[in-house]
Amino acid sequence: MADTETLQQTKETTALDLPWSVIVHDDPVNLMGYVTLILMKIFGYDEKKAAVLMMQVHKLGKSVVWTGEREKAEFYVQQLQAHQLKTSLEKAG
Amino acid sequence: MPTLEGGLRIDAEDASDWELLRSVVGDAIHPKIDLASRLGGLISEEAGAEDWQEFVVPDLRESFNDELNQVGAAIEAAAYHAKGDAGALWITPDDVFQWYSSLNQARLALEDHFHFGPSDNISPDSLSPHKRAAFFRSKFYCAIQSLLLEYVMVRP
Repeated sequence: MADTETLQQTKETTALDLPWSVIVHDDPVNLMGYVTLILMKIFGYDEKKAAVLMMQVHKLGKSVVWTGEREKAEFYVQQLQAHQLKTSLEKAG
Repeated sequence: MPTLEGGLRIDAEDASDWELLRSVVGDAIHPKIDLASRLGGLISEEAGAEDWQEFVVPDLRESFNDELNQVGAAIEAAAYHAKGDAGALWITPDDVFQWYSSLNQARLALEDHFHFGPSDNISPDSLSPHKRAAFFRSKFYCAIQSLLLEYVMVRP
């Protein structure tokens, strides 16, 4: 019984470790300066990196602003949505 | 107008200005679908849409409503103090995110309802009176947001 439980936990951990991407989508409302500010605030990016990502959102329609473990990605998406940025979560790659 | 304390002061000249400020809250309340649900709708099934709707969307909704309620109360308190006539409304640095959020909620709801698109491409004369009024309110909210960004949120 104990061995079975251990095996199940290992599988779950492997699945959760797959990288996930946090994606911000363009919209006609959010100001460019605000998007830059929020990316700096939530991810701790410097202004230059945040501005590059913001311009990708603006010009390409969306940008992958962070990739990593699922739990953290969910937290970031929640934070970005709380700041009213259109944000989704997708498997990386 | 920027204040020495790092905030912003909005001067209302008469009752119509207070009505315009009150419209922030009214415009933010979308008649069909709320902002939290719209944001939650961006999460795919693969990413856990069901759990997101159950656990995250209600928190977002509560947070957005709280912000709107606080801004609405601040407007009513300032209007009451001014007896509905000329008076001032202060936005302090501590309140700035709830103000920005409320103005954003209003603009997002107006955009969702009227589909203005990028404002550069819009000729207000071509809009119906109802839509034109909404467009100018959205521009007014955007102007306040720009001032908040420049003078309150991004400070050296």
